[in-house]
Parts: sequence; structure tokens; C-alpha cells
Amino acid sequence: MTALDSRVAAPPDPAPDAEPRGGRRAAAARHGRDNRTAYLMIAPMVVLLGIFVFWPLANSVYLSTFKISFYQEPEFVGLDFYQYVLESPRFWESIVVGLYYAVLTVPTGIVIALLLASFIKTLSRRLASYMKVTVYLPAVVSTVVASVLFVFMYQDEGVINWMLSLLNHGPVNWLNDPSYALPAVAVPGIWLSFGVTTLILLAGLLDIPENYYESAQLDGAGFFQRLFKITIPLLKNVLLYLLVTGFTLAIQLFELPLIMTNGGPVDATTTPNLYIFNSFRDLTPYATSFSLTASLMLFVVLGAISLVIFKLVNSDKAIDG
Amino acid sequence: MRRRGMVLLAIAAVTASTVLSGCGGGSEDPAGKTTLTFWQQKFEDYQQAWFKKYVDQYNASQDKVKVELQVVPADTWAQKLKAAQAAGKAPDIATTSYGNVAPGVAQGQFAALDELLPAEAFTDVKDNVKGFVTVGGKHYAYPMLVEPSTVLYYRTDLVTAAGLDPNSPPKTWDELVQWATKLTQGKVKGMTIASAGVDLGWSSWGLQYNACGKLPVNDDWSKSTATEPCFEKLLNFYKTLYQGGLIPKTPKVGYADGAPYGQGEVAMMAGGSWVIGQLKNDFKAMVAKTAVAPFPSIDGDPTKTTATLGGWTLTVDAKSKGKQQAADFVKYLLAGDPAIMADFFKTSGFSKYTVRASVDQALVGNPDATSDPFMKVISEKVVPFGKQEPAYPWDISLAFGTAIESAMKGKADVPTSLKTAAAAIDDVIKKQSLAGTAPK
Repeated sequence: MTALDSRVAAPPDPAPDAEPRGGRRAAAARHGRDNRTAYLMIAPMVVLLGIFVFWPLANSVYLSTFKISFYQEPEFVGLDFYQYVLESPRFWESIVVGLYYAVLTVPTGIVIALLLASFIKTLSRRLASYMKVTVYLPAVVSTVVASVLFVFMYQDEGVINWMLSLLNHGPVNWLNDPSYALPAVAVPGIWLSFGVTTLILLAGLLDIPENYYESAQLDGAGFFQRLFKITIPLLKNVLLYLLVTGFTLAIQLFELPLIMTNGGPVDATTTPNLYIFNSFRDLTPYATSFSLTASLMLFVVLGAISLVIFKLVNSDKAIDG
Repeated sequence: MRRRGMVLLAIAAVTASTVLSGCGGGSEDPAGKTTLTFWQQKFEDYQQAWFKKYVDQYNASQDKVKVELQVVPADTWAQKLKAAQAAGKAPDIATTSYGNVAPGVAQGQFAALDELLPAEAFTDVKDNVKGFVTVGGKHYAYPMLVEPSTVLYYRTDLVTAAGLDPNSPPKTWDELVQWATKLTQGKVKGMTIASAGVDLGWSSWGLQYNACGKLPVNDDWSKSTATEPCFEKLLNFYKTLYQGGLIPKTPKVGYADGAPYGQGEVAMMAGGSWVIGQLKNDFKAMVAKTAVAPFPSIDGDPTKTTATLGGWTLTVDAKSKGKQQAADFVKYLLAGDPAIMADFFKTSGFSKYTVRASVDQALVGNPDATSDPFMKVISEKVVPFGKQEPAYPWDISLAFGTAIESAMKGKADVPTSLKTAAAAIDDVIKKQSLAGTAPK
């Protein structure tokens, strides 16, 4: 009998009208079996998570206390590298770049997606499926291909500067000016991600019962009242999901700035992951440990940001249940 | 239970593959044949062909060792090498730049070649190059070539059309700016030079020497000297070129690539000597219209350094199980029959420079080598004043390159950019404990 079974089987204060001891014992044994089955069923996942997530994470934390060299004995340095990362202005600048990128892309993406989803909802079934395929298409385009495409579009003689020239504006140095570079990288970022967001929001919109809108309309509610009193509150959980995943994904952006600007000009597009990657490429033992510790710190920063979003937007059960 | 069995199976498979993958580098098969891995950084196409040709010849010439050549693109080199080192699968032989020799030795990354190669292999190496591969009196790499990082290329036809004299190229930075201004016409920009922080980090070393006679760190690597006024002149020079619209503001390729000049988008170019090879191979029509000169000096003094002598070596990994065999291959390719390296320099269109006296002798009889006008200018007027690449960590070079970029693109003014760089360099010195570690 397991410890768990014995705890359940020996109640401290049996009530006088308790069922016979044998019945209790049978129930407890059934309970224990259920527990065992449950543990067995989650075991494979726990083992896999242990091997591929928890062990590497614990090992990374352990390794981050060493100056790692592949040719000499690693030197124990305690928490020095955490101090180095926290003191590094370039690390914090990269977090700011990541946050700025997230602020540029996530709310814009959600607004565009919400507008598109509302529009698709009003269409006939055939037109709607055509539109759904159309908006989803950018999501299947490779980020690398999109990056190269946009680099061409941003050239002095590219299509964007050509359109500006029609309005009598000189060529703008999109990717090589510190103040334009990140917004210029954000445009393909929005383009690549709004397809998925639109489909998720559309699913959320279709879930809202039509009679809510009908009764609101009968009561004389206008478009904006319906939007703010019905649509947005009922989409709250979907929006929370999109915000949290959108922010954490946006801060981890990597390929777009790597290919379009290589983090430049003057680090204006060096996102945290790109910064960590570039630190890792340096061949010194210092760089190896520094990039490892910076990744662990980024993990903490991302967790903190998700927490803040959860706090700001309370997740409630939908009114409709 | 079945699922648990599968999980155990998966764990066993992962463990087995990890154990198996640990076996690499200088492995020996049952027949006694040693297999060596050789990573070659991807250079110009003709170089890949040259390496392949001689690796194949070496493999065919004997049956004790098989060299497996792998070409690795430059932009993935560092992370690939580090991952291989972490997995204990670093290549037995690798191309290593002069700048990475001393830092690699400090980590114990390379095998000393003195015990593995005959002494005469190093007596053949030119004296000024020997220092590039020597640390603490031992040789840790065998040099292959040197190439100055910065020379001035200009289009004689456009220069003449602009009313300038192609026979007297600009000597000072001011004259260069005047030329670039006159040559900027329509879609053709006056010149091209590095404008991204990473490119500036290394391509400006020669001009840092030119402006200040030194790099932005003091001799024993204990303090940054980036805030000295002479560096302000350097930043202002780059800033003038960029903000004056004299160079392309959105370059499509990096500093090392001479394509914009080859395609006629610019009238002059600051580029490495290797671009000659690119022009001769890919832009043949441009060769006749091109002249080469030493890059202008801050005050017109032609004896001041304007270029670092970059270049490549072959190194043997300290953990290789076939060090002697690897060194034998290095000897065959770089230190043996001078005809092999002579063939290399011929293929390169004489855009790179020899490091061995015997290879020079082998080329004496070659009329192409002796009559090449580009080679004459570079070997007589640039190489003798060239300096060795710095051996300090790349972070320092990057910090200074970022300062130049910041001033060029108006992120901060010149003194502020230099102050930021100095703080970043001092930070690197402190955290990487560099003070007093400069190789002597």
C-alpha cells in the first residue's frame, strides 16, 4: 500500500454514521488506482519535458556560473555573468528595441485583423472562404523570402521610394536610417502575421451569438456601442491570447532584422535574440557564457512581460459560458 | 506500458546517437586510413576550385590519409565552428584569419606547428609575416597569403570626363572628398566605402592607424584611447562622405564585395586588394578602365599606414587526433612545392600577395605577375606600410565601428559617439580582463 493510500484509508475522526470500513477502503483503493493511472498517463510528457526542457534549463543555469572554454578547464565565476548582462547597456537597448517592435506590430496587427475579420463575417460563404485564403497566404510565405522582397522594395530605386517620388518626395533611406529602420522592418512583420490573427479573431467573432447584436440593435445601439459593449468584451480572452503570444513572439523576432539590416544601423534593429546570437558568434570563452546568461535573462524578461499583460487584462470566463 | 517502452526506446536512441556523434575529428578506419576534416571558409569561387583541386590531388597521391574538404559560408562560420567545438567535432584543419590566431592561441585552440613541420618550412616565410602567426615564440598557424584591406580603385574614364587627372590620384582625405564630389553625377555616386558598423569594425583599422598612428586601445590593452582628437578627424571624414551623399546610402552588399564598382554604380571604391581578382573574373570590361592607388592619407604622407595586412592561414586543432597527418597536409598545400601556391596567386589574378620567398622565386619567370600594374602599385606602395590586424577581441573593433556608423548616420555627434565607444571598450577590457594581455 502506498503512503497516499494509507493517508486516505485512515480518517482521523470517523463520523458515527460513516459507511462500513470495507466500503471506504474499496473507494480509497479505487482512488489510488485512478491516481496511478493519471500519473502513468502524464509520465511520458513529464519525462520528455524533463529531458528536453527542465534538464537543459537546469544545466544552462549551472553552466552560466562558469566561463566556458572548449579547450581549457571551465573557470567557475559564480554569478559574475548575470552582473555583466544586467550591466550591459546593449542588452537593455536590445530589450527596448524588442518592446518597440512589439508595440509597433502587435496592436496594429490586431486592429487590422479585427477590421478584416469583421468584414469577412459580413460576406457570403463563398466570398468569405476566398478572403480567408487570401489573408492567410502571407503566413505561409517564408520569412527569409519576405525579408529579401522587402529589402528590394526599400531600395533607393525600389517601389516604395518610386511611389514617394510620385508625391514629389525624395528617396527615403528606409533601412539605413536609425529612426526609420525598425518601423521599416515592422511592416513585413505585420504582413506576415496578420493572417493567423485574422482567422483566430474571425473564429472568436463567429462564436458571439447573433441575437446579442439583434437585441442591441433593437435597443438602438450604434456600431461603436455594439463594438465596445458586445464584441470587444466577448473577445477579451481571444484578445488576451493574441496579446500575450504576439508580444512574446514579437520580442523574440530574429530573422527579419538578421536578413534586412543585420541589426543595424547603429543597433537600431538589434532585437534581443539577434543580440544574443551575435554575442555567441564571437569566438571568446567570455562570449559563450555571456550569450548563455543573456538567454536566461531574456527568459525571465519574457516571463515578466507576460505576467504584466495577464495582470493588465484580467482573464474572465466568457459571459456566455 | 507500451508508451513507456517507446519513451525508453527514444531515450536509448538519443543516448546512442549522442555517444556515436562524439566520435569525430581525425578518425581512423579499420584499414588504418585516417580521415581528416578540413573546413574552408567560402571565398571567391576560384578559391573553392583551387582548394578542391589540390585536396583531390593530395588524396589521390597517397592512401594513408583522406582529407574531407567542407566549404563553410563566412556568415555561418563562427556559430558552426563553436557548435562543432562544443560537440567535440571541431575540424582537424581550418582556415583562420591572422586576427584570430593570437586569440585562439590564448584559448589553447591550435596545435603548435613547430614540432609537426620541418624547421625550413618557417625559414621560407617572409620575416614581416612570421610575426602574424607567432605567439610566445611558437608558430601556431601556417600563413597562406596577405592582402591589404584598403586600396583606392578609380574609373579613369569618369575621372577624365570630370576634368580630373587620372595620373595623379588624390593624396589627402580632403582631395578625396573633392574628387568624390566632382564624380557624383546622376545615379553614379562618387565612391563607395563601408557604412555598416560590422564592416567598419575591421575595414577601418588601416585608417585608424592613418589618423592616429595607433588603434583606439593603448599598448598593453588596459585603457581605451578612442576619445583622442585624431579619431574625431577620422569620424568626420566618414561623416562627410555619407552625409554629403558621396557614397550610396543603402548599399546592397558589404565592404568586401566590389560588385557596385564592377557594375558602374560608383566612380571610386575603397576596397581590399581582393577586389582585383573579382574584377578580373567577373567584370572583365572594367579592368581596362580601372586604376589603383594607395588610399589617401590624412595629411598626404604616403608612408603612413592606410591598410592592415589581412589574410588567411591554416591551423591544426589542438584536440585533433591526427595532428601530424593534418600538419603533413598543411605542409603539402602551403609549405611544399612552390608551384602549388604560385598556381593560387596566378588564379587570383595577382590580387593577393605571397608570404614565402620560394613562391616569389617561382613567380619571377611569370610575365603576368611581374607586369601586372595593379600588383606593382599595391606591392610597392601599400604592402610595405601595412600593419598587422589587431589581436584584441572583436567586441573592441565593433564598438569603434559602431561609433563611426553612429556619427555617419547622425545617431549622435562625433565626440559623443567616441565617448560611447570608449566606454564600451573599457567595459570589454574590464569584463574580459584584458589589461596586460596584449601579445608581445
